[in-house]
Amino acid sequence: MFKLLRSKFLWLILLILLSAVGLMIFGASGYTEGKNFGPLQVVYAPLHRAAAGITNGFNNFASIFSNKKALQAQVAQMQQQLDALQMENQSLKEYKSEAERLQKLLAFRDTNISTMQLQAAHVIARSPNNWYKNVSIDRGSQDGMAKGMPVICPEGLVGRVTYVTAHSAQVTLITDREIAVGAILEKDRETNGIVEGFGNNTELRMQNIPFYSQIQVYDVIVTSDLSQTYPKGIPIGTVTEVVKEPGGLLLKASLKPAVDFDRLEEVLVIMSYHPQQIPQQ
Amino acid sequence: MRWLLHILLPILAIFLQSTFFSSYSIKGAVPDLLLLLVIFFSLLGPRKQAPLYGFCCGLFEDLYMGRFIGLNAISKAITAFLLSHLQQNVFKENILVGMMAVFIGTVLNSGMVLLLSLFKFNGIHWDDSLFMTIIFQTLYNALLSGPLYIWYYNSSHYGVLRETEVR
Repeated sequence: MFKLLRSKFLWLILLILLSAVGLMIFGASGYTEGKNFGPLQVVYAPLHRAAAGITNGFNNFASIFSNKKALQAQVAQMQQQLDALQMENQSLKEYKSEAERLQKLLAFRDTNISTMQLQAAHVIARSPNNWYKNVSIDRGSQDGMAKGMPVICPEGLVGRVTYVTAHSAQVTLITDREIAVGAILEKDRETNGIVEGFGNNTELRMQNIPFYSQIQVYDVIVTSDLSQTYPKGIPIGTVTEVVKEPGGLLLKASLKPAVDFDRLEEVLVIMSYHPQQIPQQ
Repeated sequence: MRWLLHILLPILAIFLQSTFFSSYSIKGAVPDLLLLLVIFFSLLGPRKQAPLYGFCCGLFEDLYMGRFIGLNAISKAITAFLLSHLQQNVFKENILVGMMAVFIGTVLNSGMVLLLSLFKFNGIHWDDSLFMTIIFQTLYNALLSGPLYIWYYNSSHYGVLRETEVR
């Protein structure tokens, strides 16, 4: 027994275990939440940017040769679409100016995505492990990034900025386990629920849906105006399955995310959205 | 030189995991190169230093992520401690031993991460996708461990990672 206690190896193991448990309790206490552990990200950011540049360049170069015919057909099709969209755009401009005139007339102010200031950013790195879902982008505090800013892409909601360094920022995706988003059904705008990630980039889960909801498969879910963190009306995903919760009073649904997180390359950060602060009791 | 490489390899592993391998994930699972290094060190490096090396590598990953500091540090330290006990009892020159150690080590490490996550997430939604992620990560790690184990074994016996002989 005394021989065992004299063993340096045993004390080393105990010291490691105690430090690790101490660190973990310290981390779980929430004190580290939102603190900036920037130094490592600062060191890695230029490397990530260079690697992303090389990878994108290589992919673009390789795709020229592999998809030449497909690209030509795509260009022709896109030209047709462009012509049609230009026509549509013209009539929409008319509607927009009319809506603006009417809004002024009614002194009505709305928080709309089209009125917000957006900053484009490239994804330069992704989470190095399977437990967290986040990406690093090539814009930091020097470009006006701040913690909490919502991040979107043309397809829908991506996540929000959680850490910021001078030239890069970390965006936690909505598929991460620690993210929850207030959501509504796009078609009736009545059904409320909470969309949560569970570490899977191809699936989300919507909870707390009232049992009387008209939610169905293929319905589109968007951010709710009750959300404190995200602007309303941004697509989150499409319903793939609806089931009753064990109690029978609530429903839950599985969603296919609107964004393909595995192929995400560019994102838009909403710079001008300031979430409402809930007054402390 | 040997210790410099032991420091540089985890830095390179994190870089590769977050750039190259994240683009080539299998069913959403990326390999854990850092864990491979810890397992190889536990099998082929100094036995008593393996838990410390696992702890430092895990802590480095935690600091890079900036979330739940200690989660990877403790899971990798325990994995290294358990696998270092195999050192005296297996034929390390066999590549299959390396691959099997990685297979077992990844399952152990994943189990511990899930267990420790209970501190933070107030319960884990255990579902098929989580199970599949662990399965695919284990297979991905085991697959990559083949060539990497040969390199690590040769380096630790004849190359730069070889221990200096005690006179």
